[in-house]
Amino acid sequence: MNRLGGVGYAAFDRQRESERSFASLSATLSQQQISALHTQLSTFRSSLAHFATTHRDRIKRDPEFRHTFQQMCTQIGVDPLAGPRRGGWWAELLGLGDWQHELGVQIVDVCVSTRARNGGLIEMQELVRMLSKLRGVSGGAVSEEDVVRSIKTLQPLGAGYEVLDVGGRKMVRSVTKELDQDQAVVLSLARDEGGRVVEDLLVQKAGWTRERARTALDNMLLRDGLCWLDEQDEICGTAYWVPSVMQWDE
Amino acid sequence: MARLTPTGYLLPSIHSVPPFFTEQPNPTTQATLTEQWTRLILSYARHRRLFFIRIEDAETTGGDWDEVLRNEQINRRVMPAHLSSLLATLVAKNLAVYEPPKQTRSVLLFWRSPEEWGETLHEWATSTGQLNTILTFYEIEDPPVPSPLSGIPTALLRKAIASLSKTGRAQIIGAADGEGVRLFAGTGK
Repeated sequence: MNRLGGVGYAAFDRQRESERSFASLSATLSQQQISALHTQLSTFRSSLAHFATTHRDRIKRDPEFRHTFQQMCTQIGVDPLAGPRRGGWWAELLGLGDWQHELGVQIVDVCVSTRARNGGLIEMQELVRMLSKLRGVSGGAVSEEDVVRSIKTLQPLGAGYEVLDVGGRKMVRSVTKELDQDQAVVLSLARDEGGRVVEDLLVQKAGWTRERARTALDNMLLRDGLCWLDEQDEICGTAYWVPSVMQWDE
Repeated sequence: MARLTPTGYLLPSIHSVPPFFTEQPNPTTQATLTEQWTRLILSYARHRRLFFIRIEDAETTGGDWDEVLRNEQINRRVMPAHLSSLLATLVAKNLAVYEPPKQTRSVLLFWRSPEEWGETLHEWATSTGQLNTILTFYEIEDPPVPSPLSGIPTALLRKAIASLSKTGRAQIIGAADGEGVRLFAGTGK
């Protein structure tokens, strides 16, 4: 009977032989896979580079297109915002990192210049509106999403720029001040009322005590400068107005 | 929204914001709004060539300042005490002086500085060939042909002439029927 594997010394030799050939086969296979991967990667790089250079202007100009592009990047795990220094070839190629930083500077510009009147809190819509005005027609449109992204790039500066959700609408805060729960309620009610808040409103709609309403409003008025006083209110005599939820031109 | 008044002045949209008519307890906010008020007052004064603003303008209606000190649409007005502090700010910033002096209910507005008025006077005298002659204050304030200086209050004219005197381009002359000034050519340098 001729048993596979057999017995005796020859069997050891044969086993060693087959191990060796398996090893070399696996090495060849991985080598092939690696080189295939390299080819794929370089193809991907070159097509991405091609895409980026052909569509660079459109990416910068068209918020819709930029959004789709950024979604695609997230899906394939590439960060188009990796700054000009960290990002290497591809941020350079696209110039999107610079674009984002530039927008960041403009956001700071708008936030700082309106701080005196809104206490460092601005509605997202208003911010986008003012940014578009600042950038002019040639600057291209800016979307809320762009602003959110740019604010993230501002984070290392530690200036406290943050996007807040107040009653389902976005606001951008540019001061390192905590917006407490009560203030969020006041802001949200103020928006429904076109900017005007009175103690009675907070007592009725938020179910607060008069003391709590007064404290919240006084804090916003005196400490944070988030609202303005009106002593000629027809109904209540004294009313508070929140400029960051109102819209007007300078 | 910005609003055009019957006299053709474009009011800024902040003029339709109710708390604009109240003095603010928050110093930062107050500074911002005061800045807006002083700018508005001076620009309206320039538009209508108004030289004075008085506390009475906030106390009674029918004056020159109603369009600015009141907003009937939102039923707000500047209270006399508020106006008083706005006038104090204008004076502190050298954009106005209390006139007559030693009271705080009336100011003379500098929508052009006394130096600029001096230059205006000199240019007018030069272009109308009235250098080196004696001009009475009355001839300057109410010339037969309207000039950029028509209606200028004597107090302001005096300051304008004083500024020209510093550069040797004007000299006050006492005359029997009032005062006069003689203007000289010069670059002002």
